Amino acid sequence: MSGTSSLLSWILWMPMIGVLGVLLIPKAKENAIRFWSLINTAATMVLSGVLYMKFDNTIPGMQTALTIKKSWISQFNINYHLAVDGISLPMILLTSLLLFICILASWTVKKQIKGYFALLLFLQSTVYGVFMAMDFFLFYVYWEVMLIPMFFLIGIWGGENREYAAVKFFLYTFFGSILMLVGMVALYFVTGQGEDSFNILAMSGGKFKDLTVDLFGYALPFAKVFFIALFIGFAIKVPVFPFHTWLPHAHVQAPTAISVILAGVLLKMGTYGFLRIAYPIFPSASVYFSDAIAWLGLINVIYGAFCAMAQTDVKKLVAYSSVSHMGFVMLGLAAMTVQGVNGAVLQMFNHGTSTAMMFLLIGILYERSHHRWIVRPDGTKGFGGLYTQLPVYSIVFIIAMFASMGLPGLSGFISEALIFLGIYNRFTTITVIAVLGLLLGAAYLLWMFKRMFFGEVIEENKSYTDMNAREIFYMLPLCVAVIIFGIWPSPLLNMMKASVGKLVSLLAAY
Amino acid sequence: MALQYLASLSHYVPEAIMCLTMIVLIMIESSYDNNVKGSAKGMLFAAAYIGLGSTLILLLNKIGNDPQIIFTSSLVIDPFSNIAKIVMMIGTGAALYLARVSKDIYEEVKAEYVILAVGILIGGMLLSSANNMLILYIGVETLSILSYVMASLKKNDERSSEAGLKYALYGGVTSGIMLFGMSHIFGSLGTIQFSEIITLMKNLSSNDALILMPAFLMFFAGIGYKIACVPFHMWSPDVYEGAPLPVTNFFSIVPKIAGIVVIVRVTNVFFAGSDSILRESWVVLMMIISALTMTVGNVAAIGQRSVKRMLAYSSISHAGVMLLGVVVIGEIGNRAILFYAITYLFMTTVAFYITSFVQDHYGNDHFERFNGLIKSHPLMAVLMAVVMFSLAGLPPLSGFVAKFNILSAVISKKYYVLAAIAGFNSVISLYYYLKIVKNMIFRESESSEEVSLFDFKSQVIIAAFSVPVVLLGIFWEKILVVANGAKLFIQ
Repeated sequence: MSGTSSLLSWILWMPMIGVLGVLLIPKAKENAIRFWSLINTAATMVLSGVLYMKFDNTIPGMQTALTIKKSWISQFNINYHLAVDGISLPMILLTSLLLFICILASWTVKKQIKGYFALLLFLQSTVYGVFMAMDFFLFYVYWEVMLIPMFFLIGIWGGENREYAAVKFFLYTFFGSILMLVGMVALYFVTGQGEDSFNILAMSGGKFKDLTVDLFGYALPFAKVFFIALFIGFAIKVPVFPFHTWLPHAHVQAPTAISVILAGVLLKMGTYGFLRIAYPIFPSASVYFSDAIAWLGLINVIYGAFCAMAQTDVKKLVAYSSVSHMGFVMLGLAAMTVQGVNGAVLQMFNHGTSTAMMFLLIGILYERSHHRWIVRPDGTKGFGGLYTQLPVYSIVFIIAMFASMGLPGLSGFISEALIFLGIYNRFTTITVIAVLGLLLGAAYLLWMFKRMFFGEVIEENKSYTDMNAREIFYMLPLCVAVIIFGIWPSPLLNMMKASVGKLVSLLAAY
Repeated sequence: MALQYLASLSHYVPEAIMCLTMIVLIMIESSYDNNVKGSAKGMLFAAAYIGLGSTLILLLNKIGNDPQIIFTSSLVIDPFSNIAKIVMMIGTGAALYLARVSKDIYEEVKAEYVILAVGILIGGMLLSSANNMLILYIGVETLSILSYVMASLKKNDERSSEAGLKYALYGGVTSGIMLFGMSHIFGSLGTIQFSEIITLMKNLSSNDALILMPAFLMFFAGIGYKIACVPFHMWSPDVYEGAPLPVTNFFSIVPKIAGIVVIVRVTNVFFAGSDSILRESWVVLMMIISALTMTVGNVAAIGQRSVKRMLAYSSISHAGVMLLGVVVIGEIGNRAILFYAITYLFMTTVAFYITSFVQDHYGNDHFERFNGLIKSHPLMAVLMAVVMFSLAGLPPLSGFVAKFNILSAVISKKYYVLAAIAGFNSVISLYYYLKIVKNMIFRESESSEEVSLFDFKSQVIIAAFSVPVVLLGIFWEKILVVANGAKLFIQ
């Protein structure tokens, strides 16, 4: 099966072909650049569809038929090693879908179009790299390279305070990855610098349980020390409290499409890192620290919700709601039960679609209003009575909001319910408090909705036009996804079931 | 005996060519009319390039040859020193071009710059091959004395003269201390030959070890001074600031790499064999010094307004990172240092080139002068950004691979904390490197007028020097093979 085996490479490099194309098109032909990017992401989406068709739900762990492994740096046993399993496939599909939508949503970008689309496609490729790499070194390279396009996308096309946001985002994430780098190299030497010393899959299974590491004269358990190192690296990305302070800035300053990618895909890379690297490699330490992870997750849920409630900028509100929702993912991860982890992976996907909708909708509104204040700093209302002015927009907004809130029948509900089922036995108190977080979520979203969409129509809102065909077109797939997976989540659950089961049984041994 | 010397000479052709070049350069310079501008002295530059080029080809040809001990074992020509020499030669060549086009260096002293640079290079070559302490000392002095002159090349400028004087004073003192340390080592071991020291170090009485420790410290002061590692770094900000930009560029490459190379050799000679208390304390000391050097360099770089000063401080911190490889004492560390030196050469050269052209146009090199470079010179701005990211250690650029190699050498000895300190220093450095990127790309230029900072030829050269920065980050297997073969010859 030589034809299928290079599929992952095609998906990974297709956006780079797109980048080359964008660079070759003259600057003045703006539409050509847009359409080329659109076609390119569409092609990637088709390839991801093929990947979904080829994917065998019954195999736990990596799909051997799709794995690619070539030597890169033989002295260090670094390989170009790509593979996919039930945890990474939903993320790859989500990335393909969101990037296609982001290209459409970026149609109205005016400034330096060529650079914008080139960087966007470059970013897409690096995201695939993170989700596909099974070589720790390769993973790290993609994890870091991704920062460069993000830095420029926020810094050039962002809002007023974009420089600060871009630098903060960059430094924060770089700080986290340094710890990961040290952990990675330590693992390389501990495993004996052999054939599989950078192979994430081969390192899994608690091989480092009994090792110790000498720090300042104390013999500390190796697994715990380096679990913490990896944890901080990933936690900054999620972001887990108290490492979340970069997120509101980055989200608010980033242009719409970048916020969508940031919330939809990039945050998931953090939790994906736990599932792919931290948990399998250090299962004993993961179990040891699961209480702490659960409590941090809970803080995320509650604290994020309260912060969201206090916001007067609607984009910042949604940004903090992301903090809250990623807290649920952390809770599911801490549970280490089949339902909990399934719920977490599902929540990663569902949050990707629902938050993407929220950010896209805010972007659509912003293009009309050029501000995002629910309540302006001077106390006057920024929006009011939008419901009567923009009916289609309001309906889509309601769907997104309810999905985000976790209303039964929409996608968020299933994943949150699964997470609660998964953690209830182990963390009863936490579950009870976390459910309150759901309530808070409903509160801040509904309150926002009330202030923006109901009440008296303020004068300047009257001139706003409803969503146009392009906007409806790109919102549609997300609406469908949110509704379908709310009623019938089994395609997603089936996809991840075997792989999650394998991971959970690995953890259950400790 | 005479035959032996002749045979030795055949291995010493590169150095001989460089010495000859220097003499020829002096003769050419004196043949020019007094009114000829420095940058117009084409013959002079051509002669320098012919000398450098032919030596480079020679060295490249014999890069992997078996190590040779020559001149009654006072010099050793091994692959390690060959690579170090190649790096220094490329660095010198690049600095010469920059000096020719730069406006920061007076026209009437450009010829002197060329001659001095070649002289310093010879000192560096001697240092990297030194196989006994006397040669080492001669190498250090050749390098230093010429550097003092070079630092004060802007002779009418107060700061430049001050820089030269400071450099000379500090340098004189440390040379003295170093010589004092050497004499102690000679006193307790009875030899200055490295090859004999290695065997003596293996069975050392505890009494001798006690005397040797302070002796090493004094010895180290001399070399540490050359690479500006903490606490011997005080001179460098003033010198780097006061000296013209092409001189700063040269100082942050050639003497630095020569110093690092000699530390590597000395460390391996003294400590590779034995596993004594002496070695332990040396390792701890080097750990502290390298950690301090990295941190002090980085922290000081944050507050700078001038890009040249920022680069100068960051070069201190890069020296600290290279010292990490010395801590390891062994093949893996040496290899990492060589790799680092190679990548550092290209990155630093590009960064200084671009800064120099910006400075020549605006009269100063404050960060704001880089504003909007992406609009006027997109290629140069992108290359500068690439180099900045590479210096900070972001993949997939060569700076990352170099840091990765150093880190893996450090972690192979289980010095996790040291590795983490090195990592955090990368984060600090990213902050000030980002400042340039930010100014170039996010901000608008201060004036709307069309500016042309770079001529075409310089752009081509800058681009050529940037190619390895990217390529070595992705295809580093080959260069690793070369660095791997570049074993230090000690026996």
